[in-house]
Amino acid sequence: MPTITIDPVTRIEGHAKITVQIDEQGEVQGARFHVTQVRGFEKLCEGRPFTEMPALMARICGICPTSHLLASSKACDDIMAVRIPETAEKLRRIMNLAQIIQSHALSFFYLSSPDFLLGMDADPEERNIMGVVRKYPQMARDGIKLRQFGQRVLETLGGRRIHPGWIVPGGVSHPLQADHRDQILAEIPEAIRITREALRWFKGQIENFRAEVRSFANFPSMFLAMANDTNEFSAYNGWLRFVDSNLNIVADHITGTDYLNYIGESCNDDSYLKSTYFKPLGLEDGMYRVGPLARLNMCQSAGTAQADEELAEFRELERHSVLSSFYYHYARLIEILFSIERMDALLHDPEILGKNVRAHASPNNYEGVGFLEAPRGTLIHHYRIDDNGLIESANMVIATGHNNLAINHGVLQVARQFVKGNTLQQGMLNRVEAVVRAFDPCLSCSTHAAGAMPLDIQLIDADGTMIDRLMR
Amino acid sequence: MLIGYGNTLRGDDALGVMAIERLRPLLPDAEFVSVHQLTPELAQQLTNCDLAVFIDATYEDEPGKVQVERLPAIGDAASLTHHVNPAALLELARSLYGRAPEAMLVTGTGAGFETHEGLSEKGNEALQEICRLVPLLVRDFPAMW
Repeated sequence: MPTITIDPVTRIEGHAKITVQIDEQGEVQGARFHVTQVRGFEKLCEGRPFTEMPALMARICGICPTSHLLASSKACDDIMAVRIPETAEKLRRIMNLAQIIQSHALSFFYLSSPDFLLGMDADPEERNIMGVVRKYPQMARDGIKLRQFGQRVLETLGGRRIHPGWIVPGGVSHPLQADHRDQILAEIPEAIRITREALRWFKGQIENFRAEVRSFANFPSMFLAMANDTNEFSAYNGWLRFVDSNLNIVADHITGTDYLNYIGESCNDDSYLKSTYFKPLGLEDGMYRVGPLARLNMCQSAGTAQADEELAEFRELERHSVLSSFYYHYARLIEILFSIERMDALLHDPEILGKNVRAHASPNNYEGVGFLEAPRGTLIHHYRIDDNGLIESANMVIATGHNNLAINHGVLQVARQFVKGNTLQQGMLNRVEAVVRAFDPCLSCSTHAAGAMPLDIQLIDADGTMIDRLMR
Repeated sequence: MLIGYGNTLRGDDALGVMAIERLRPLLPDAEFVSVHQLTPELAQQLTNCDLAVFIDATYEDEPGKVQVERLPAIGDAASLTHHVNPAALLELARSLYGRAPEAMLVTGTGAGFETHEGLSEKGNEALQEICRLVPLLVRDFPAMW
């Protein structure tokens, strides 16, 4: 069967390719998203002291190291069986919110905005961040400033913006200083202005992307996210909850190692990325989605004033849950707004400058599990240690793995909508890439990105003859 | 402004970052930036300086060798994502903020980029040469341009 290969997929975090199989009539028969890099972190940490895990795990990725640092520290807290000081928990939450802000800003402004601002069919020579800079300089400046804000918070609290070492098992290594708090607070009004402006602009554009809304991984699926007693947006504390596409709860109060009863992981022959599924339904029927879309679908309120206003409007998009993955972009902007507002509230909490920020203990459990909502979705770290506190086994379930089945399903859906055989057009292939971009998959790439990525797509007919080719 | 970048866990890729630490006491009036990789956020910072010196490691020459390249007035920022090269960053500064400094790229050729900490013998040679050369380049900058 003829195959179109998009290799690599551009403007995502990592190295991946897409293959689209077409039949003799030029109709799409199948499509797959393949991750072509291997990292092996679960294996290489075996034998290391568990106390090293947060710093080691943060090296998985240069985009969201803080998320791994936090999930890992929570797993270590569990091994030590400690309840960390309240101030430390609040400081960790601020770090998580800053991580969400900077990562979402990167996804929206740097990676995806060329598609929205310049159009899916624009010349690829123009459809990039410099095209945005030329045509919409204020939007580009705002994007840079917003990401800078998130990174500055990470740097101010963690000492460095990438791989900060401030978060440790038991809490954080040192308290927040008043002048650092005030520096962050001073930047909040501008960060909110930028986010609100981006939201206003994006909402005005949705009408221009009706075809993408209809076909970008727009299907019923379950959703997974953290939940809590208040049913407010929860990114740090709580338990795991699965809901169906009508938002009925199908599994709830999942904590600790209990996740193994609900989340299965399947290996694929053609990808280094595992496919995660809802175990009670099996691999075939157990697809679910995580991340901003899941979180906004599942929470009853954001818990902050401006984000709640936006959430109410977001809910009006569809009658029940919002199912089109094109709206991940929209959800990301609302989450940025929520994160800034929540950060503001936490920084105004008098306890935030408290000096008791770390609990100390030796291992009290042989196993520890840490959950967290990372920018792209639910992140799970699970460690087992031996009598000497050395790691016997580690399991990390990452957001992009949770979304893998849905990404593949979405790639097939969009390929069927836009790819018509015989003649390839840049716009249609860009849409196949763009549905992957909507999920903002992170493939842990930061240390080996290649810069100007080549794209070579060949359309080969049933006889093996190349009948069309696109290169950039 | 001196900007050293690289991955300290990939052997000689740490050259730029290590050079910044050594140059810090030698150039008290300079601003120093030490990063894992260049990012677009640096564009705004660049507009505040007259000269930017980017320090990086490369594998594309004889190990131990140091090269200095004046960066062109117009760069190519088309591939800007989360991976940025110095010319793209300068172009971004010009396009978004109206100005970019004069700039040069100093590269030292490393011999090993495997996953470990510390420089190779050739990497160390390049580091020594960078630390000798950069203060001279900064000192002579007004006359050179």
